[in-house]
Amino acid sequence: MTYLSRLFVALSVVLAFGLSAPQVQAQVNPTQSSVNEDAMFQALGGDSAVVSGRVTIPDRGAGTLISPDNKSWAALQGRTLHTLSIWAVIGMIAILTLFYLIRGKIRIDSGMSGRTILRFNWVERFAHWTLASTFIILALTGLNLIIGKSVILPIFGEAAFGTLSAYGKIAHNYLAWPFMASLVMILLLWIVHNIPEKLDLDWIKQAGGLLKKGVHPPARKFNAGQKLIFWAVVIGGAGLSYTGIMMLFPAEAGTQADWQFYQVVHALIAAALSAIVIAHIYIGSVGMEGAFDAMGSGEVDENWAKEHHSLWVEEVKATQKRNTTQVTTPAE
Amino acid sequence: MLVKRRTREAASTGRLSQMASGMAAKPLDRRSFLRASGLTVGGLAALTTVGAGMTRRVEAAGFTDMSQPIEVKKNMCTHCSVGCSVIAEVQNGVWVGQEPAYGSPINRGTHCAKGASVRELVHGDRRIKYPMKKVGGEWQRISWDQALDEIAEKMGEIRANSGADSVYLLGSAKFSNEGAYLFRKFAAFWGTNNVDHQARICHSTTVAGVANTWGYGAQTNSYNDIRNAKTVIFMGSNAAEAHPVSLQHILEGKETQRANVIVLDPRFTRTAAHATEYVRFRPGTDIAVINGMLYHIFENGWEDTEYIAQRVYGMDQVREVVKDYTPDVVEDITGVDGETLKRVAEQFAKERPSTFIWCMGGTQHTVGTANVRAYNILLLATGNVGGEGNGANIFRGHCNVQGATDFGLDVGNLPCYYGLGAGAWRHWSRVWDVPYEYFVSRFDAVPAKGGRDARTPEQNMEIPGITSTRWFDAVTIDADEIDQQDNIKAMIVFGHGGNTVPRMQDAQRGMNALDLLVVADPHPTTFAALHSRTDNTYLLPICTQFECSGSRTASNRSIQWGEKIVDPIFESDNDYAVIHALSERLGFADEMFKNYEMVQGKFGMEPTPESILREINRGGWSTGYTGQSPERLKAHMANQEHFDLVTLRAKPDAPAEVQGDYYGLPWPCWGTPELRHPGTHILYNTNLHPMEGGGAFRPRFGLERDGETLLAEGSWPQGSEIQDGYPEFTYALLEELGWDGDLTEQERSVIEAIGGDNMGGVSWSIDLSGGIQRVALEHGCVPFGNGKARAIAWNLPDPIPVHREPIYSSRPDLVAAYPTNEDRRQQRMPNIGKSVQQDVVERNVASDFPIILTSGRLVEYEGGGEETRSNPWLAELKQDMFVEINPEDARARGIVDGGWVWVTGPEGGSRARVKALVTERVNRGLAFMPFHFAGWFQGEDQRGNYPAGTDPIVLGESVNVITTYGYDPVTGMHEGKVTLCQIAAA
Amino acid sequence: MARMKFLCDADRCIECQACVTACKNEHEVPWGINRRRVVTINDGLPGERSVSMACMHCTDAPCAAVCPVACFYTTDDGVVLHNKDTCIGCGYCSYACPFGAPQYPQTANFGTRGKMDKCTYCSGGPEPDMSQAEYVKYGANRLAEGKLPLCAEMCSTKALLAGDGDIIADIYRERVVTRGYGSGAWGWRTAYGDTVTV
Repeated sequence: MTYLSRLFVALSVVLAFGLSAPQVQAQVNPTQSSVNEDAMFQALGGDSAVVSGRVTIPDRGAGTLISPDNKSWAALQGRTLHTLSIWAVIGMIAILTLFYLIRGKIRIDSGMSGRTILRFNWVERFAHWTLASTFIILALTGLNLIIGKSVILPIFGEAAFGTLSAYGKIAHNYLAWPFMASLVMILLLWIVHNIPEKLDLDWIKQAGGLLKKGVHPPARKFNAGQKLIFWAVVIGGAGLSYTGIMMLFPAEAGTQADWQFYQVVHALIAAALSAIVIAHIYIGSVGMEGAFDAMGSGEVDENWAKEHHSLWVEEVKATQKRNTTQVTTPAE
Repeated sequence: MLVKRRTREAASTGRLSQMASGMAAKPLDRRSFLRASGLTVGGLAALTTVGAGMTRRVEAAGFTDMSQPIEVKKNMCTHCSVGCSVIAEVQNGVWVGQEPAYGSPINRGTHCAKGASVRELVHGDRRIKYPMKKVGGEWQRISWDQALDEIAEKMGEIRANSGADSVYLLGSAKFSNEGAYLFRKFAAFWGTNNVDHQARICHSTTVAGVANTWGYGAQTNSYNDIRNAKTVIFMGSNAAEAHPVSLQHILEGKETQRANVIVLDPRFTRTAAHATEYVRFRPGTDIAVINGMLYHIFENGWEDTEYIAQRVYGMDQVREVVKDYTPDVVEDITGVDGETLKRVAEQFAKERPSTFIWCMGGTQHTVGTANVRAYNILLLATGNVGGEGNGANIFRGHCNVQGATDFGLDVGNLPCYYGLGAGAWRHWSRVWDVPYEYFVSRFDAVPAKGGRDARTPEQNMEIPGITSTRWFDAVTIDADEIDQQDNIKAMIVFGHGGNTVPRMQDAQRGMNALDLLVVADPHPTTFAALHSRTDNTYLLPICTQFECSGSRTASNRSIQWGEKIVDPIFESDNDYAVIHALSERLGFADEMFKNYEMVQGKFGMEPTPESILREINRGGWSTGYTGQSPERLKAHMANQEHFDLVTLRAKPDAPAEVQGDYYGLPWPCWGTPELRHPGTHILYNTNLHPMEGGGAFRPRFGLERDGETLLAEGSWPQGSEIQDGYPEFTYALLEELGWDGDLTEQERSVIEAIGGDNMGGVSWSIDLSGGIQRVALEHGCVPFGNGKARAIAWNLPDPIPVHREPIYSSRPDLVAAYPTNEDRRQQRMPNIGKSVQQDVVERNVASDFPIILTSGRLVEYEGGGEETRSNPWLAELKQDMFVEINPEDARARGIVDGGWVWVTGPEGGSRARVKALVTERVNRGLAFMPFHFAGWFQGEDQRGNYPAGTDPIVLGESVNVITTYGYDPVTGMHEGKVTLCQIAAA
Repeated sequence: MARMKFLCDADRCIECQACVTACKNEHEVPWGINRRRVVTINDGLPGERSVSMACMHCTDAPCAAVCPVACFYTTDDGVVLHNKDTCIGCGYCSYACPFGAPQYPQTANFGTRGKMDKCTYCSGGPEPDMSQAEYVKYGANRLAEGKLPLCAEMCSTKALLAGDGDIIADIYRERVVTRGYGSGAWGWRTAYGDTVTV
């Protein structure tokens, strides 16, 4: 609060409580007009008010005497977010388990062709894996800060947990930077493939064919599901980055309430994104045959590609044809 | 005392305590803890440069090892005058802990920020660690011997060329009583009256005003006694910051008595925040405010007529004078409306007992003495002096400013207010056992110059010296203008800051022009840093009072014995030893120290404070400093808990050695220690027998004036055998009363030896046997007599106080009607205040400098502030010098809270770069600056001028760069509270 | 067991900062760390009051709720302490605390705050009582010696009260009745859910 607004509040308090009794003289009786805690809180707007004043030390924050609202954040962070984060992770794992049990691993309907085509070059894979690995560590260390004390502490004990958390905090604060860098990379590399189009609506209508065997709606290099993940990661990542930076540089964040807001947003995005990424990991690994190769070797089986990215395969083939006709094919 | 701390079964700290041993994370060690501060490490590094054996482990110095025995020592806080006891826990010679001194009736365990941090003083990271001198502009480490030899030699040269008066001996309110007395005695042996200390700039006008009214220049009651008051006025006192522990008594009194607490102050202070009425007035108009109150009192017949008739001289003339101070006139001068003053006056007069408290806000003015007189007259008119809960509660500033004043660190007095007359010199010659002629031989003869007559040494020794407010003028002024042989050539400064008097530009010129500058202090002070001297500048490391023993007198006149807590740290040494070592080299140590018990000190022989106090006891008759033997004082400290909180009297169940005594034997404590006088808690209290601490006003201005008696009429202390007023007791009076037979043979022979041919002329104050005092007291009489207080002090420039505008007045239109006092010569120097005031009006200074600037204290710092600004625990709390400015004034100037501003003053283009503190504490047109800062000078950072490692943590501009000319005509007190300035965003 | 609390009687507090330096003195608290501070509300106005504030040792301490590493614990005396060995300096407690109690040795950027430090109610930490290890990390343990926090013991006007909550509330109540005014037990409602009513 600025000095002036504080002054205004103070004056209004003085006016409200000092001069409420009509006085004949302009007598100044500081004892009688003394501020009262209850009255002051009421005048300032109840429990969400912040009582502050002047301190002589340079730490401006020290001027805040009582901010009861911090308790609300504490409850939100200590209980609500704690519960929410646990449920986001456990919930997604439960859904995927259920899905796996019902649908099983999604196979390539036409079987492996044995021919592969290049889906992601090494730059793309590098960006992806940097992003992925940092995200996983960030997610784990971040989650640890929220739910570690109820999940890890009982298992490992105080000492190990303390050490783990201390290193975890360092990892979280510093791995955020490669995370952000790779986030920018994937954005630049893939944004052109992720612009939504009409096609995506059909894909979504058919649920990407994930639910039914043999259904394969057409898709370009990125199908609507992947686009969703892409944008979730980009937007969520950006949100995490911004709020994270604010948390790392509290002076830039503004007031304590601002910082608390960033922290809550950070935790909420993190929980949501963690859930999404768990699903992504599932589908990219055990959930779907042939999917992992896209980010593994970068080469995917042609049949897999035809089933999941039919239009993209056509585009690739067309390009290859043009290339072979226009350019002298090098000797093999 | 050796004790072990009580230990409890280790508290269960739950599951973690069992796990604690296996913690994996690296614990935060002390070093990294310290490193975080940045500053402490610098201090540690500085320590390592000190010679081996002198250093002390500071790291984790606060840890108390419970398995080792702890020594408990008791001393008093060395900051303000409240006199808070400090309990120190010492282990292996290190002061490891400070505990609340619950036994002390004065502070009951408590402290303010300063008192709660005194342990740091003997960490002393920033203390002067060894003697130093400046050579070619660089500070060099030297030995004590070299330093003292060179200083003594240079003093000798100056004496030979310019005379003894050219050496100025500036002493300290931080001395113990014994140190102060020794320093004054040193000046006498050196042969000068140029000896002064902080009382000059703190309560010299109080002492002059109060002593001229009713006899003694001291607080009449005590902090504790304010608990009895029904109405309390603070005027020019911000006790909440300057004397925080006193507020314990005042606020508890306010609560239990539902007392009125009225704060009259230009600034809404932390004290005002707890008032029941706050009255803002224009700085420098105290007399108009008081006379305005008296107007209402007389108008409505609220005065105490019986009291006035019995105990006050000249109130009728006051009645006439204050008729001019009608509500309209007063409102025009002061800004306070008549109704408010009437209400305040009525409460003060009717809701009694009422007490009046003032401090520097009242005293540091060109009208300081007159202000004090006005306060006194208000007290007398309402019958509020000499009883429980009333009185002039003058809160003094430094821990021993009362004692140092008592012991004559004053240009106009020998110890105990004997003055400088031949009788005084002869009295102390007898006490010191040195021929009177010896002192005559030590003083200069003064040649005729500037149209003034020449003086013989004998005459010169009776002429008051130059006040500490003018020392720099005395260095640089034309030699004809100074009323002594030559200008000041040397400053010997023991424990005194250089930034606490106005006109620091001139002070800097003075420092530069000196032939010799010696600073003897725990810290270098501004005297070591302000100037551009290259040579002949010495720093002597003096220890604090925590590192030596001795007594100190609190504001309420209680004397407390401080016990050495630890040995002097580094190479520092105590005042006694250093004064002795210097005297040895100057050739008069044998004479001067012959009455003392000498013991081996740190670097040489030194006198014991006990033996010095015994000499004081043998000579301090006039002030009743005779009953307080070291044994009695020590017994009081050991039995503090037996004294009553309100009456300060030892309770009936107290041990015999203190039973019936008032705490600290507040002076006057008449007669010899064997007489067991209890001391005097409340001065001039006729409700008690003089042997129980009763008294009366002191008739010291003759027996009658203009045909009217100056002795009390129909009023006498309880138990008095003379049931009327009477003059001071002499042997002749005893004979007249037929009480001379009560003297013992031994007493009579002492009186005979003193009086010689004129035995009848030997008075209570020079009778070294104490017999006259004893006999008078036995007959229920006060040795000094029973007189009237003076509402008219005919010997002062304004016998009855009248309003006079400040020299730099914000109301030039009022100057013609209320001009300052005429130019005059005083204390060997000219005072041209009137000329300056006229010039200020003619040049219309008030239009260029439209803001009134006043100054004052902060709770964290004290005095010049070097000691407190060097203490990280305090320095952290106020890291920048600032100016308080009203939000409206700030807005008009584009100044924001916390922003840098230039404050400019009207003399010599003075300017100071400080931070703005935008606050409603000051009203529009008023600015306030604290006076504890130094080390920046008009925008220049002078940190490099301090010897390495001794620079205070916090530096800042001194307000006294801006403050201006103006001196009280009686005491030479500076004008520290009213000047004009302009403020602009930097 | 007693339930230790602080109560600052603002009608007595004169912002003398004794509590602040007593704390620095007792625990050798380094520069920049202020376990206790005095805040002046309505500075310079007739309603002005100063309040000395430190950790209030809350019931259901919010700092403990948010601490990721569960380094807080409440003693049998109701004092909220923490374990510096476990603390990772994340700063969450400083945002949870309604009183600004948690302090850090360093500036907060990059999360490099260092181990949190705060008022211990002069009762140390998890190390053995009155050991040097405890002193170095947390300061003196006066409670273990049967003493009370030095800030309150040294308070110039006896404004700052420390001790069993019921007892200090009674003292405060008595004062309010005696003098006829009271600006409230600042922070009690927030820290303990209930204020002192007279």
